[in-house]
Amino acid sequence: MTGVPARPPADASWRLLEPSDMVFVYHLVTKVDPRWWRFSRHGLEPSQMLETARGTAAGVVVVDGYGAPVACALLVEAGTSGTGMLEYFALPNPDAQALARRFASDLVGAAFAGAPIRRLYYERFENDPDVLGEVGALFEGEVTFPNFAMIDGHYESRTTCVVSAERFTEWKQAEWKQGVTE
Amino acid sequence: MITTSRIVFRPALPSDYVRLYQIESDPTTAMTWRYRGMLPPITEYEPALWKQSQQIMVVEGRTSGVVVGYLQLHDLDLRAGNGWFSLYSGPEHRGSGLVMEGLMAYCEWAFGNWPIRWLYAHSFTHNVKNFEHGMRRGEAVRLGVLRDRMVVDGEKTDVHVIGIERESWLASPLRRRFNTLRARSFT
Repeated sequence: MTGVPARPPADASWRLLEPSDMVFVYHLVTKVDPRWWRFSRHGLEPSQMLETARGTAAGVVVVDGYGAPVACALLVEAGTSGTGMLEYFALPNPDAQALARRFASDLVGAAFAGAPIRRLYYERFENDPDVLGEVGALFEGEVTFPNFAMIDGHYESRTTCVVSAERFTEWKQAEWKQGVTE
Repeated sequence: MITTSRIVFRPALPSDYVRLYQIESDPTTAMTWRYRGMLPPITEYEPALWKQSQQIMVVEGRTSGVVVGYLQLHDLDLRAGNGWFSLYSGPEHRGSGLVMEGLMAYCEWAFGNWPIRWLYAHSFTHNVKNFEHGMRRGEAVRLGVLRDRMVVDGEKTDVHVIGIERESWLASPLRRRFNTLRARSFT
């Protein structure tokens, strides 16, 4: 039969980042360039990118039903003040972005569970595609850098948003209760 | 180098390091963003001082010849066209206005010598009053506040993010006044 997509052999999921995923991370950075600013600000020279990636505290990749990576999240700058930065990007296509949104709350939860973090930051350019989905509403904007960098011929502002561990936990518990009553 | 009637603003030299270390050893400075209370020993100071820094400029009292403070240009992002600055004042010179005059010299120097559109700085709540005049006059803007961002001496503290835009600085009456006074200091 033609026109009907084959059913993937497994459900989509996420797993911890492995050293061999660096090829995918580099591929992803080039696909969204220059939006993943941590990497693109230096240009795309591979050894520089690997050096930058070494500074990450932890990472995961979202994989589709065929096991192919489609998105990547990194936890960076997890420091002594109990804060960390989430960086999360998906391949620039609707399926990958939808999978990223589907797993976003799991990944935020994993960041809080896996590291001593009380506040989790997330930075985005004004025209970045949404990869956080419903959990994105929990992030409050705290700082906006106007006209931060030029992307495709136009300056875009960049905003630093944050969610606290308490706020995320309350939301997760409310979501769980809602699931039980339904 | 920029000279006014009160200050000399010049690049830091290795012979300044002991004085810079002395400034940073002050308890009110030691708990700031950079070292968070873990100032390295003097033997390891130079690489720590220059970490992520592109240039360090000292502010020297013109008559005394004493370094009263210094400013760092760090985390320069040439693709975006911005950079960050940190400002340190010797404890005995706080309130004298000398280092804030150094900040004017710094803006003149940074925007005149580097291809940047914005300068940013982090400031703890207890230091942000130093920028309030500039924000009221419009040379600087508060871009936001990172709530409870840092833990200093066991207490959570907010961090203000201050921005100075190149165009605002170039058009500011403060800059004109600064350069007028600067020119007069040589006549």
